[in-house]
Amino acid sequence: MIQNPRMAMAIGDGGGIGPELAARVLADETANPGDLIVFGDARLLERGAAQAGLDLSLPVLGLDALSGTLPDGSFLVDLANADPAEIAVGEASLAGGRGALQNFAAALLTAKAGLADAVFFTPFNKYAMRLAHPSYVDEIGFIKSTINSTRSGREFNVLDEVWNARVTSHIPLREVADALSVDRIFDSLKLTVEVMEGAGYTRPRIGVAALNPHAGDGRNFGTEDDDIIHPAVLRAQAEQFAVEGPIPSDTVFVRALKGEYDAVMTMYHDQGQIAMKLLGFDRGVTLIAGYGFPIVTPAHGTAYDIAGQGKADTGATFNAAALGRKLAAMERARGDRIRSAEGLADQIGALLTAPQAA
Amino acid sequence: MPALAPDLPIALTCGEPAGIGPEIALAARMRLGADLPFFWIGDPRHLPQGAAVTEIASPAAARDVAPDRLPVLPHGFDGPASPGQPRPDHAADVIAVIARAVALAMAGEVAAICTAPISKKALKDGAGFAFPGHTEFLADLAGVGRVVMMLACDALRVVPVTIHIPLADVPATLTPDLLEETLRITHAGLQRDFGLTAPRLAVAGLNPHAGEGGTMGGQEIAMIAPLLDRLRAGGMAIAGPLPADTMFHPAARARYDAAVCMYHDQALIPIKTLDFAGGVNLTLGLPFIRTSPDHGTAFDIAGQGIADPSSLIAALRMARDMARSRAQ
Repeated sequence: MIQNPRMAMAIGDGGGIGPELAARVLADETANPGDLIVFGDARLLERGAAQAGLDLSLPVLGLDALSGTLPDGSFLVDLANADPAEIAVGEASLAGGRGALQNFAAALLTAKAGLADAVFFTPFNKYAMRLAHPSYVDEIGFIKSTINSTRSGREFNVLDEVWNARVTSHIPLREVADALSVDRIFDSLKLTVEVMEGAGYTRPRIGVAALNPHAGDGRNFGTEDDDIIHPAVLRAQAEQFAVEGPIPSDTVFVRALKGEYDAVMTMYHDQGQIAMKLLGFDRGVTLIAGYGFPIVTPAHGTAYDIAGQGKADTGATFNAAALGRKLAAMERARGDRIRSAEGLADQIGALLTAPQAA
Repeated sequence: MPALAPDLPIALTCGEPAGIGPEIALAARMRLGADLPFFWIGDPRHLPQGAAVTEIASPAAARDVAPDRLPVLPHGFDGPASPGQPRPDHAADVIAVIARAVALAMAGEVAAICTAPISKKALKDGAGFAFPGHTEFLADLAGVGRVVMMLACDALRVVPVTIHIPLADVPATLTPDLLEETLRITHAGLQRDFGLTAPRLAVAGLNPHAGEGGTMGGQEIAMIAPLLDRLRAGGMAIAGPLPADTMFHPAARARYDAAVCMYHDQALIPIKTLDFAGGVNLTLGLPFIRTSPDHGTAFDIAGQGIADPSSLIAALRMARDMARSRAQ
């Protein structure tokens, strides 16, 4: 039933640059070699194409396209769930947030069912998503509940040849030091090695960022670097992982860029995000791994300030598509997934009629 | 204190003699010649062998030294230095050289001071030096309560509000008083020493996404935003609190003259990533101008003649530019 690797693409927030970027992907021969199952509203995609000055010729199908044999080539599954009339360009709206969430959920369920090997989405806006779904915290939690996973995935940022993973993420800075433990850092390193090996790296080299200024400066500015991070690094080295650290966080990215490391493990959100976004705001990709299939998106947001003007930069979006496709091919080559469309169209249909979640 | 004249020479301290300070001082002079007058305070024996040196008796004499010779205001240490191995009995003299440069600045005999890197550990072990770094020591010598550390390169200026403390201590150390004084000193420094009549400041949040409406930490709403509102009402151009991860890419940087950050690495990560070698460390809020290269003693390569003087050269140039701004 399924011949080639496919990628499920969710159109992002309708008020932002998501529809425009989706249209640009679909119109580009490299970004769209004909393997995309696109979820969204046909009218909104049409608006995105008009914003980009493009004329898309994409088959528009209904949910029943997801039962039986998938059509060849890229096609849109029109969820008819985001009326452009209700979604002002350049603003967060309930309709925009709801449509983006439904598109994302549909793509996730499609990948879970095995009809797609990766999920790719154009930018969401968290505020809009919370208007539609007040309990929405972040992508990780939403994915977990949507596909009913027992595991928690991990977010990676990928910029050219440098990966970044972090031990803690969306928590107050005050809680970071207490959240660190040897086990937690070691587990993060182990998962990073697994994910990167899955992406084709052999023994990826990881630089581990220090928590404190100057890596604690010999315990003058904090003890966690000596007492927690260093032992975690030693344990990882004992497992034959190519890991070094703790390295002062103001130099670890510079060293990675010079080619010393394939990845940097940071202890908290901004420690990694500052350098990654500074270096490649227009190129960086976010990868969420650990759910059995990769989920990719450009690292930037909805850019409401330039939405609708046809000038959104496609660099990060095309990079995300390329990374998702590469990982999808590797995932397919492992060939260990069960793939069945049974019930998928009904599950997605149920998303569209569900009452607004509280 | 007399007004600082931009045509006076700059005093450069020797810093840790076992580090790269002496060799980069000589290299900077060879590179800059007479274009940027400065002199070195230290023991001539600590300079690389065969260094072309002219000893001077006072700062004013630095002007008359040939451009291919390093003017040195001698300060005798107890013996030569071994690269990479600081001597405990040198610590007191390293400190004395800094104090001497400050005294010259306070007396108006130099346009600015530029300090070469010290080893805090060597000074602590050898002389019981109790300051976390140059910045705090200089404030003490100048009798100033609070100063601000700024790091600057061509592309960016950053100010960390808290500096050399554990990350876990940052939230408690970050008080409204500290933040307000830091912003005021930074604002005044940009006006006085950088020729910016209406400086634009950008202030980072403490937490991810600047707390995202209080869901990832409350300091932005409770403390930072109200303070910034008050300062804005007083006429300062301040943006923030901004998510730290989206304020350093090129388009964002174009919107401000200095970024004020809540902790050391929030400020240091962007500037070192942008310009690893050329950054300058400077102190605002002192009665005199002080700059420094933004690197350490580099004991591992000291004495090999391979140390890069570009950050020191940038620091000397910035000191001169600041002195010119201040004189106008």
